[in-house]
Amino acid sequence: MNRQEQHLTEQPAWIDQAKTVLDDSARDLDATTLSRLNRARQTALAAYRPRPPRVWLLPAGLASAACALLLAFAVWQPHRHAGDTGTSPTSTATAAKSGETDATDEASPEFYQNLEFYAWLDAQNKGGDG
Amino acid sequence: MAPIAGTIATPTSDYARRVDAVSTNQRALDQFLRGVERRALRMAELACGSRDDALDLVQDAMCAFVKNYSAKPESDWAPLFHRVLDSRLNDFHRRRTVRSRWLAVFDRKTDDDDAYDPIEQAEDTQNPGPLLRLAGSEAGKALDAALKALPLRQRQAFLLRMWEGFDVATTAQVMQCSEGSVKTHLSRALTALRRALEDHQ
Repeated sequence: MNRQEQHLTEQPAWIDQAKTVLDDSARDLDATTLSRLNRARQTALAAYRPRPPRVWLLPAGLASAACALLLAFAVWQPHRHAGDTGTSPTSTATAAKSGETDATDEASPEFYQNLEFYAWLDAQNKGGDG
Repeated sequence: MAPIAGTIATPTSDYARRVDAVSTNQRALDQFLRGVERRALRMAELACGSRDDALDLVQDAMCAFVKNYSAKPESDWAPLFHRVLDSRLNDFHRRRTVRSRWLAVFDRKTDDDDAYDPIEQAEDTQNPGPLLRLAGSEAGKALDAALKALPLRQRQAFLLRMWEGFDVATTAQVMQCSEGSVKTHLSRALTALRRALEDHQ
């Protein structure tokens, strides 16, 4: 038997002996230690709460998604309305170039600033007619 | 009428089945912990050198295991429990290393004082203690001393592989390292132990 084979055959013997010694030391614990181990186990088991199945996750996820969509729609909607009804600077400029006058033009701040001039002009026109 | 009876009976039977499952699982957990607690205590005691600390560590490991892994299949419980315990032992080892560093600093500062000396009051980890008195034989004492002298990872590799009987892959999973590391730790542990126990063979 060479050295390596001897090593292989010897190894289980002392390991078995070590396991036996460890088993004995675990088996022959004193009563106080066993009592404390028992208490530790009971404490751990007292905290045992089986986790309920998370059936609420799907409805909660759907509700969250719906809220997010609603919020996104609400935020996006006013911009679209403003784009539809608002007068763009381009369209105002085009109207001014073409000389069109409408209610919007009459209601402009410049009209009110020159209101006295328009009143005088109106009086002059009436005087000329009369 | 039959469908109504069925709808009334179903929640009750579901509840009863669930209660049964809970109590069965709790019984199985109790049985499992009862089976591993003594060996776990020995492992913890070899790692930290104190019975009280070992009991605290085992209780911590039990609580964490029950809280986090009780829903796992029973076949996985042993590796998972030892994984939790191994983490606790690593944490303890780390804390003790940091504490000993601070104590060393403290000791240097109060070297000339005759005041209370924490080192002198600290528990002697080389003291045989009750466990070795239980083991009784010279071989038991020698094995305990040799195991305590091993580094934590080598001791864990030896105990998990040889005493608990886990295979290399499971031991690696428990110790959260590679299989190669387990083999290295185990080989070094076996060499050191064989050398230490040569006189007692």
